[in-house]
Amino acid sequence: MTTRLTRTLATGAALALTLTMAACGSDDEPSTGSSGSGSGGDEPTVQTINEGTLTVCSDIPYPPFDVMDGATFTGFDGDLVNEIADGLGLELEVRDSGFDGLQSGLSLNSNQCDLVASAMTITDAREENLDFTDGYYDSEQSLLVPTGSDIQSIEDLAGKKVGVQQGTTGKAYTEENAPSDAEIITFPSDAEMYSAIKGGSVDALLQDLPVNITHAEDGQFEVVETYSTGEEYGFAVKQGNTELIDAVNEQLAALREDGTYDKLYEKYFSTE
Amino acid sequence: MRRTTRKRLNLGLLYGVFVLAVVALVLLADWEAINKNFFDWEVAKGLWPEIVTIGAKNTVVFTLISFFGGLALAVVLALMRLSPVGPYRWLATAYIEFFRGLPALLVIVAFGLAIPIAFSWQPPGGFVGAGIAALIVVSSAYMAETLRAGIQAVPKGQTEAARSLGMSAGRTTVSIVLPQAFRIVIPPLTNEFVLLIKDTSLLALIGVAFGDRELTTFARDAVVSTTNSTPLIAAAVMYLVITLPLTQLVSALERRQQKAR
Repeated sequence: MTTRLTRTLATGAALALTLTMAACGSDDEPSTGSSGSGSGGDEPTVQTINEGTLTVCSDIPYPPFDVMDGATFTGFDGDLVNEIADGLGLELEVRDSGFDGLQSGLSLNSNQCDLVASAMTITDAREENLDFTDGYYDSEQSLLVPTGSDIQSIEDLAGKKVGVQQGTTGKAYTEENAPSDAEIITFPSDAEMYSAIKGGSVDALLQDLPVNITHAEDGQFEVVETYSTGEEYGFAVKQGNTELIDAVNEQLAALREDGTYDKLYEKYFSTE
Repeated sequence: MRRTTRKRLNLGLLYGVFVLAVVALVLLADWEAINKNFFDWEVAKGLWPEIVTIGAKNTVVFTLISFFGGLALAVVLALMRLSPVGPYRWLATAYIEFFRGLPALLVIVAFGLAIPIAFSWQPPGGFVGAGIAALIVVSSAYMAETLRAGIQAVPKGQTEAARSLGMSAGRTTVSIVLPQAFRIVIPPLTNEFVLLIKDTSLLALIGVAFGDRELTTFARDAVVSTTNSTPLIAAAVMYLVITLPLTQLVSALERRQQKAR
C-alpha cells in the first residue's frame, strides 16, 4: 500500500517537475521578445498595462468631474485625461470602479488601471499606498441642505443626520468637525446620497463643493457653508511608477501652458 | 503496458497537475505585496474588538431578524400557495414570482431610497429598518417556495390519518404537516440563512450610521482609515467564523435525523 502510494507520488512529482521546467522554458521566450521590441523606435512614450492604451479607473458618476456621456468619459477629470491620453499618443479606456478600491491602491496594485482620475484629494494617508501627480484642482468641502433648512452651519448638525461618502475627505472632515451628536450616515456614492436627501432620510450632505453645486442648481437645495482644506485633487498611479507620473505631469503643464486647462476649468466651474 | 501501470500513471498525472497548480500559484504570487497589502498583523490587531462588537454583532443581528421575519412570512405564503381559495393562491404566486425575480440590491434601494422620495415617508427603524424589511421581503419569497416543496413532500397518508383521527384541518397542518415539512427543508433553509448572512452587506448601499455597520462595511471603513487592505481579510475570516460552525451544526442535526428515521 505504502509503496504504491510513494510510487504514485514519485511519478507525479517527476511529471510536475518536467512540466514546470517546460513551462519555465516557454515563459522565458516571450519576455525576452517583448523587452527587445520595447527598445524599438516609435512606440508610445510610456509603458502601460495594455500596450497603446491608457486605462483609467474612476468612480462614475461624480458630476461635474466624472461623467459618462454615452461611451465618452467626460467631466473635468474626463476631459483632462482625454487630453493627456492624446498628448501621450495613447488610446483612452475607462473603467468604473468603487472609490475605496481606488483610494486604497487596490485597483492600481492589481493592475486594473494605469491611472486613477476620480476627483481624489491628495492626502498623506493615501500617499502611503499611491503616488500622485501634481494637483489639478483645489479641493473645497461644502454643506448642502434643503432650501430653507434650519441648518446653516456645521454646528447646526447636532442631533441631525448628515450624509457623507465612504472613504472621502468629506467624511474625515465631518468626523473631525461636526458636533459629536450629529449622526453621520455613510453612503457608497453620490447617487445614493442625493436620493437620500431628496427623500428626506438625511438632513444634509457634506462633500466636495462642485458636486454639491450641481445638486443646488434646481433650487431645491442650497450650499450653506464651504470649507477650505488646503488640499488638491491629483491623479494617482501605482507606487513607484515615476515614468507615468512624469509623463502625466508634463502633459498637465502643457495643458496649463496652452490654455486648454483654463478653458476646461471655465467650462465646468464658471461662477457667473 | 500493464493495466495497473497505466492506472498508476493516470493517477500520477492527476497528482502532478495538482502539485503543479500549487507550485505555480506559490511561485507566481507576489508574496511581499500580498503580505504588505493583506496580512499586516498590526492593522489586524487594531481592528479588535470593534470587528466583533460592531461588525460581527450587527451582521448576526441583521441576519437573525431577516431570517426569522422572512421565515414567518414564508410560512404564511406557502400555506396561501397551497390554499384551496383561488385569490390567496394568486396573490402568493404573484408575490413570490415578483420578489424572486428581482435582485435583492434593487429591492433594498427601493425600500431605503425610493419609498421615502415617493411618499415623503420614513420607514421606521431608519436605514437599517428599511434594509432589513427589504431582506425579509426577498428572503420570504425564496423560503416560501422551499417550504411549499417541503409541505408537498409530506406523505398524503399523514394528513389522511390525522383527519380520520378527528383532527381539524388547521390542527393537522400545524401539528402534523408543518413539523415534518420543516424537517425536510432544514438543509435548504440553512442555505438561505448563509445567503442572508452575506446579503446583509448590501444594506450599506442605502446609507449606514457609525454603530450600524456590519462586517463588510466595517472592513471597508477600516481599509480607508488604515490605508491597508488587511481588514478585508479579517472580515472574510469573521464570516467563516460565523458560517462554518453553523453549517457544521446543521449537518450534525441532519445526521441525527437520518438515524432517527
